[in-house]
Amino acid sequence: MSSHVYLVLTLIFYAVGALHVVLQALTRRRLLTNWTVAATLVGFALHTAALAQRWTEAGHFPAVGLHDGASLLAWTVMLVFLVIQTYSKTPLEALGLAVYPLAFALVLIANLTPAVPVGDPVLRGLFLPIHTTLAFFGYAALFVAFAVGVMYLIQERELKSRAPRTFYHLIPSLERCDTLSARAVEVGFALLTLAIITGLLWSHAVHGRYWTSSPKEWSAVLAWVLYVVLILVRQRTGWGGRRAALLGIAAFAAVAFTFVWMNISTASVVARTP
Amino acid sequence: MIVVVGVSHRTAPLPVRESLAFPRESLADALVRMKAEAGALEAMILSTCNRVELYVREDEAAGAGTLEGFLCRYHRRDALTLQPHLYRLSDTDAIRHAFRVAASLESMVIGEPQILGQVKDAYQAAEEAGTLGASLNALRNRSLAAAKRVRTQTGIGRNAVSVSYVAVELARKIFGELKDKNVLLVGAGKMSELAAKHLVRSGGRATVLGGRTFEKAAELAAALGGKAAPFEALRDELARTDIVISGTGAPGIVIQEADVEIARAGRRGRHARPLFLIDIAVPRDIDPAVGKLGGVFLYDLDDLKAVAEANLRGRLKEAAAAEALVDREVREFLGWQKAREAVPLLTELRRRAEDIRRAELDKAKKRLGPLTPEQEAALEAATTAIVNKLLHPPTVHLKEAARESDAPEQLSLIRKLLGL
Repeated sequence: MSSHVYLVLTLIFYAVGALHVVLQALTRRRLLTNWTVAATLVGFALHTAALAQRWTEAGHFPAVGLHDGASLLAWTVMLVFLVIQTYSKTPLEALGLAVYPLAFALVLIANLTPAVPVGDPVLRGLFLPIHTTLAFFGYAALFVAFAVGVMYLIQERELKSRAPRTFYHLIPSLERCDTLSARAVEVGFALLTLAIITGLLWSHAVHGRYWTSSPKEWSAVLAWVLYVVLILVRQRTGWGGRRAALLGIAAFAAVAFTFVWMNISTASVVARTP
Repeated sequence: MIVVVGVSHRTAPLPVRESLAFPRESLADALVRMKAEAGALEAMILSTCNRVELYVREDEAAGAGTLEGFLCRYHRRDALTLQPHLYRLSDTDAIRHAFRVAASLESMVIGEPQILGQVKDAYQAAEEAGTLGASLNALRNRSLAAAKRVRTQTGIGRNAVSVSYVAVELARKIFGELKDKNVLLVGAGKMSELAAKHLVRSGGRATVLGGRTFEKAAELAAALGGKAAPFEALRDELARTDIVISGTGAPGIVIQEADVEIARAGRRGRHARPLFLIDIAVPRDIDPAVGKLGGVFLYDLDDLKAVAEANLRGRLKEAAAAEALVDREVREFLGWQKAREAVPLLTELRRRAEDIRRAELDKAKKRLGPLTPEQEAALEAATTAIVNKLLHPPTVHLKEAARESDAPEQLSLIRKLLGL
């Protein structure tokens, strides 16, 4: 089977998961039922098969262009979510409300966009898999930090309004949101740092220059600086909670821009090369 | 047939229920006596503060009223005064009742979690007393499993529905773990004591601020395993604490906005840590403006009541789903029970067929004379196959028929037809 078939099947299973999680949230039941978990695992297995297939089809690590980038990011986010659910002492089901729709949307984008043609020698070698793996796991961790930060703000607003309702029993305690977000930022920041370093080295190897002054480089560095500020301020002053959540959200906006710009621009660049 | 006789919060006031309660120590003795006196095959007693119920499996022949008689004699109560409070359910109704009680659908506060443990203990006690047999044991397994499913699959027991528990739940929502969180009590009232006890049990450390009577504060602090401080230390204590429970009888505001602002400014390093203030005094102790400060959560008594009421409404909504689930489980249990009634008939049928097969096989062997082992095995296999193939459809049909409502008639017809 071609990677497209796998990807369509993946989309169907993720759609089931996403729909189910949202419905469960609306009826205020437990978020993850056995059905959701089963659909997720089958979807994830198909997704893995799709990526493996795509890797052999493309002849390089499937992370270039919107089609491959979206698919790989969805896979990474799903993997991180599954790992958190498995290994976290208290499972964080509410995260599913962010992860499932995102994974569904990304796989949908991947299904709707054409795979970029192969051929650029830049894509051979080890820089592509190393740099993108670091970057994508970094994005996934920072996405978790972002989502948990949003959950913090929602939860705080509900508690402050003195009439906790919809999300009251879905979202974990403020303290847990805060510490989890801080942890995810630390992990994501470390990966982002390594991704930036490998990116610079790659750029040097290809263009002979470390810095090409592209918007994605600027936004990556901006995100990096914002995360440095966030981590330092948290450590030095015990700052946290609401303001940390807001800063984390702002920093993630820069990360999101970096990802989108990279995949749209590389898609066009690679598409233009004959 | 399973029968239940008892009183509950729906049929009897507390004094009546109290007078009929079975203390844990005398339960074994009561079970044995009840089984003997009521002529029951199996017996179980569920005795909680909201209900006293006697469960038995008895012969169809046992007359009505024996259980009621035992209850009156045991507690030396007059049957006539007790009669209006008692209910008696039998067969399907009794089974349904047992499922509903375990699932907390019959509880005073629907969805309360204690009942499951109480039912478990009651069966356990009956098992230890040796009065539990196969039928009640099956009822135990199925009803407890159903109750657990109700708890996990519906939201019936989800949120707190009493003011003091709501306070604890909110504290958990804010702080997660309550271990080593500082709890500051301002004023020593009944309600603040109750909420503080819950918090301390979850690992919180209590400090009690004394008002005009310091002794009272010291007493409460000792009871909570915490310390007492004079009221003048309010601002210092506010700077240290995570949770404040205020319930003084003061006519005006006791904790001003400035108190909290200054205290929070003094919290270096933990500046962003939230502060949860619970004002259960009427009139209120804490300036409502405090609730607008960043990182501060202020709930007064009405807020807590509103949350509790909303939670209760949520539970009642979930109760419909729980009812449906219990209905399904009860139907399944009844079907399973009926299918079991067909089992003796089935074994009898099988044994009869096997006897005939053996007899005919022996006759045939005598006529045929000596056979090789292969020939003998072939004969054996052929006859067994005939019997199995002939019996397969009636076996399936019997199991199905047993689940139908007219099972007894059907079973007796089958008995006649097969000459069993």
